[in-house]
Amino acid sequence: MHRTVPSLPLAPSVKVKLINAGFQVASDLTDMRPLQLCKEAGISQEEAVEVLQMLRDDGQPHQQRAATESLTALDLLHQEQALGSIVTFCSALDDTLGGGVSMGKTTEICGAPGVGKTQLCMQLAVDVQIPVCFGGLGGKALYIDTEGSFLVQRVADMAEAAVQHCTLLAEDTEQKQALEELTVEKILSNLFLVRCHDYVELLAEVYLLPDFLSKHPEVRLIVIDSIAFPFRHDFEDLSQRTRLLNGLAQQLIQLATQHSIAVVLTNQMTTRVSNGQSKLVPALGESWGHAATQRLILRWEGLRRLASLYKSPSQMEATVQYQITVQGFRDASDEHRPTPDTSAVSSQLGNHSKRPRTEDLS
Amino acid sequence: MEWEQLDLNPRIIGAVKKANFRSAKEILSVSGPDLQRLTRLSKTDVQRLHCAVAAAVRKSKPVTALQLIRGECPVLEAGHRLSFACPILDGLMRGGLPLRGITELAGESAAGKTQFCLQLCLSVQYPQENGGLNSGAVYICTEDSFPIKRLRQLIAQQPQLRPDLPPALIRSLRFSDNIYIEHAADLEALQACVSQRVPVLLKRGLVRLLVVDSVAALFRSEFQADEAIERSRHLLAFSNTLHRLSHEYGAPVVCVNQVTDVVDGPNPGRCDYGLVGSKVLPALGIAWANQVMVRLMLRRLAGQVQSASRSSAPRKLEVVFAPHLPRASCLCGVWEEGVRGIPDDHSDLQPQGSS
Repeated sequence: MHRTVPSLPLAPSVKVKLINAGFQVASDLTDMRPLQLCKEAGISQEEAVEVLQMLRDDGQPHQQRAATESLTALDLLHQEQALGSIVTFCSALDDTLGGGVSMGKTTEICGAPGVGKTQLCMQLAVDVQIPVCFGGLGGKALYIDTEGSFLVQRVADMAEAAVQHCTLLAEDTEQKQALEELTVEKILSNLFLVRCHDYVELLAEVYLLPDFLSKHPEVRLIVIDSIAFPFRHDFEDLSQRTRLLNGLAQQLIQLATQHSIAVVLTNQMTTRVSNGQSKLVPALGESWGHAATQRLILRWEGLRRLASLYKSPSQMEATVQYQITVQGFRDASDEHRPTPDTSAVSSQLGNHSKRPRTEDLS
Repeated sequence: MEWEQLDLNPRIIGAVKKANFRSAKEILSVSGPDLQRLTRLSKTDVQRLHCAVAAAVRKSKPVTALQLIRGECPVLEAGHRLSFACPILDGLMRGGLPLRGITELAGESAAGKTQFCLQLCLSVQYPQENGGLNSGAVYICTEDSFPIKRLRQLIAQQPQLRPDLPPALIRSLRFSDNIYIEHAADLEALQACVSQRVPVLLKRGLVRLLVVDSVAALFRSEFQADEAIERSRHLLAFSNTLHRLSHEYGAPVVCVNQVTDVVDGPNPGRCDYGLVGSKVLPALGIAWANQVMVRLMLRRLAGQVQSASRSSAPRKLEVVFAPHLPRASCLCGVWEEGVRGIPDDHSDLQPQGSS
């Protein structure tokens, strides 16, 4: 704001008139209204508005520069690693995901009824709250329930198991101190629940998310369980459904990147018949497949439950086994190594992201 | 939608009216840039409009899970369940049926599904502290006629089934007055019953349990094998109505389902729900399974179980999936007074005709 009027990027005639009117430095002009400036300097109203507009834009150099400044890929890498991820307590799945469910991205979990989608979502809503000194994020969670399958009794069980798990791991004083505050009540009090009964309520809730996140900046996870349920009936016009879903996906990705949170969506499965054979595929159509950044498909194979990472920009496709116990979502007792099924793009750093502590959470 | 009620600049409200928007649904279904184009409002104005309409549509603010478990939000979490009137069955279900959501009971014929439903119709009439909901039940029959004789027998034997309750309480309840029986011969009648007559009963507080026996019969008979999409659409519309009623009135919905035979081996195009080695699976496919919150399967086993010099064929009640229950099962028998769970020391029983 110390620029002199002659150095401003204005038309020379305007500058002459301003100087003749006695304005020497840019700061003289900042508090003027257009009409005032118009009268005092003898310039037209449009020119006055332009002058003030230019000064306003110029007065925000730092924000503008930050927006247009380019980041190097190395900076981005450091940023991503610093973000951390949310563990699932199934170490095989965490390894496949590169540490856990990533922040700043949307992850879709598809699966048949009863395979464990809601269990995984509830587990993540508990795990996001694990204190930073234990390798977690110490954040809060928002659970948007459209099916009515959020039963708080089960979440309380998982919270209890998580607290016990951390109790077994606590070694140094910082962890022991954090453990004193980590109770089941605290975990439940940091988990927000909203129930949406149809797609209009869901759309409304997503429009209100920016406001919610600004009021609760510690929220690091948003779960929508499930996004398929309200959209699978009631729609004669499927193109409108695709449009609405795409709009939702856009808004969610924007929220995820802007606030560095993880957004987890669950989807149902449907049967598709092709060439006389029927297959189970994720619902909501082909175009929805592009909506989420990462896609995880849970399925049954006999008595085993398998999780396949189907789509990811940074991790290799793999299938791991998991189980649901009284404590929640856990490793299957016999198998811990992920089996890569196709050699897609493998991440440069392998499957491990940097963690603040060296001990494993499993 | 009354636009004036929204907390918005009158200029924005005027633009909305001029662009002929009538409901919140229309506003929320249009994206930001499209709304800007249709109303000629600026980007920030459109954002404010979306937020104001969304806030008006939202029924309740986010609550914490702690508030839920403390019972501070009875609309979202009632804190109690509908009891089966048997402590062993209630133990399997961690208290009983959840009040909101569809519970499915699938099984072969003569497994005992109707017996369970009748027992629930009586159990719901007890006061809340005795595991009921202090209200009646609607029983929709689509297959056979309602088993009225069996109901009368069960009513007469209630003191034997519930020895823990004071006989005066049991005598004071007029059980048959509070069970509303509907017969639906085809899909249209079923949909009409569920969307017109049942809501009236629910609104008046006369019933708080809805039983559909069975949901498979009409859907399987009225659609050919190649009309799968048509059938899915009707099924979804029907289950959506049930779901909405259940959540609005806090009334458990029990749907009886038939089973289909498994002829080939494991098929990747069909979900088995981890029921390995089972000769039967619940009917109506994955379209229906996606709507169900709690799925129970009832199987009739070979052999006999004894209780006080009477005998019954044992049944196995299995939790196939539920958000709050592990995959467990328990044995039960059907007696004169109703269904009772059998304690765990009968592990030598085999399913009837299994591999």
